[in-house]
Amino acid sequence: MKNNKKLISMCLMILFLLVSCSGGSQNNSANEVKLILGAYTTPREAYSQIIPLFQAFWLEETGQRVVVEESYLGSGAQSRAVINGFEADVVALSLEADVNRIQDAGLISHDWKLGEEKGIITTSVVAFAVREGNPLAIEDWNDLLQPGLEILTPNPSTSGGAMWNVLALYGAALRGKIDGVPGDDADAAQDFLKDVLTNVSVMDKAARDSIINFENGIGDLAITYENEVLVGRQSGQTYELVIPSSTILIENPVAIVDTSVDKHGNRAVAEAFVEFLYSEQAQEIFAQHGLRVVNDTVAEASKSQYPDVPDLFTVDYFGGWDVIMTDIFGESGIFTQAILDVQGGSQ
Amino acid sequence: MGAWLLIGLVILYMGFLLIAPITALIKGAFEDGINPVLGSIRSEAFLKSLLLSVEIAVLVVGVQTIFGTLTAWVIVRHDFRGKGILNNVIDIPFAISPVVVGYMLLLLFGRNGFLSPVLEALNVKVAFAVPGMCLATLFVCLPFMIREMIPVIKGLDRQQELAAATLGANAWVNFWQIIFPQLKSALIYGMTLTLARALGEFGAVLIIGGGIQGRTETATLYIFRCLEERQFVQAYTMSIILGLFSVLIVVLADRIKHKVKFAD
Repeated sequence: MKNNKKLISMCLMILFLLVSCSGGSQNNSANEVKLILGAYTTPREAYSQIIPLFQAFWLEETGQRVVVEESYLGSGAQSRAVINGFEADVVALSLEADVNRIQDAGLISHDWKLGEEKGIITTSVVAFAVREGNPLAIEDWNDLLQPGLEILTPNPSTSGGAMWNVLALYGAALRGKIDGVPGDDADAAQDFLKDVLTNVSVMDKAARDSIINFENGIGDLAITYENEVLVGRQSGQTYELVIPSSTILIENPVAIVDTSVDKHGNRAVAEAFVEFLYSEQAQEIFAQHGLRVVNDTVAEASKSQYPDVPDLFTVDYFGGWDVIMTDIFGESGIFTQAILDVQGGSQ
Repeated sequence: MGAWLLIGLVILYMGFLLIAPITALIKGAFEDGINPVLGSIRSEAFLKSLLLSVEIAVLVVGVQTIFGTLTAWVIVRHDFRGKGILNNVIDIPFAISPVVVGYMLLLLFGRNGFLSPVLEALNVKVAFAVPGMCLATLFVCLPFMIREMIPVIKGLDRQQELAAATLGANAWVNFWQIIFPQLKSALIYGMTLTLARALGEFGAVLIIGGGIQGRTETATLYIFRCLEERQFVQAYTMSIILGLFSVLIVVLADRIKHKVKFAD
């Protein structure tokens, strides 16, 4: 009985300590400013290096300490989280449409594409990760049709990377750059998309989940961002990068969420952070983490790492994101129909 | 002969299901020696997420102990219209996937949620904040305490209560002197189950909390993030700590239970 009382009082004491600890850490002094970053999953390693540099920069400029809170989700999921009430001050997403969604919800009221780079902070290309030594000799899109091949690509309803993958594949087919698929033939291109989707074995919710599953031994090939493969290799993974001869230029936007910064009163530091992402210093870090960058000097210096693609197209080829979101990913869009056909057929 | 075969089979089964994965986990954590393990324990994100998990779990256990016991009491001792429905509703959290629980709470408390005008007026944040995560964990942990308490309360000897009342004990004395000692063992078991479930929750707190580092990142979300960032030692270390925690709780609960029985 006595022992139990002791135990209970001990528990209460621990509880009290915990509560007081957490209370103590929330002191918001005038010399501290908070910044919330909501990002997609793949540039996380780059941000973990850029943020300390920005904190040092801001401390020197203003004497203020910046506390950065980071969240990484699939681009589409992150965009919807912000709309649902996650008060991110700055969003760094995979694609423009995910920022547009936040804008359409009324949370971004300024023209975020006004800057010199039109809000784009980094670029990449859609590429393949293949097993060491490329045992299945995968060189280009039509190799994805090998019977029994297991392909990993994330799910376009949550992942920005997945959308880029579909656009690269469909675009290359439509442009007549895939052997055996006639160009400018929407039906033939959609059939090719269906054939590849038939070989897709796992659709993860984000690009990073997809490549980690590939690392854990699932599948023969992952369609993914070039930077995902490069970052994976930097961490000691042995899979190899294959860039198809025709692929899409991935353009990753960054934007300030007006309702959040107005509420938090931290617009100045949010703007400085976005500006800092364009600095040579930050762009170099992006380049070190597998991303192609928009800063010309840094892009020139890192050119040897990032080979030119013979046929590189952009979203403009499809008529921009608004067209893409209805014609390809909309309710009766090309991808939506294709995946329905494939999944319906396999059941 | 047959007995040995049976024992061997059980050991093989346990070894395969329990010991092999745990060994792999420990081996993974200490692959580069003890220093990376100690280093990860000392990091701020590690401690913060562990603390948040413990805070939420302790709060949830506290609330469930009080309201769970109360609910069980009402169901056993009182008759009212809709009691059958209430009794069935309790098990809903067993049936619903935690991810769905997170999403349901978003529909309620999110920016365009049904309750958002109220929250706005009160200047309270629930979604993408700790209160929402507490609610989600409360939801998934709801049945444990109640299901544990109902049979024990049913089995209470009412003669003792009546006798005590006849001897002049008021309701307060009756509860603490007569009823509570008989419930103690079940209470502790219910608290243990609730605590373990709360510490392990993942999907619901990810959806409603958003996994913001340093703010809404629990220990399980920390493990998930570390795996995504290929910080395997950190992920394994946290897993081991959480595992040790659970073992400790179970052992402690077991010992207290034994003591209670002994005292009886």
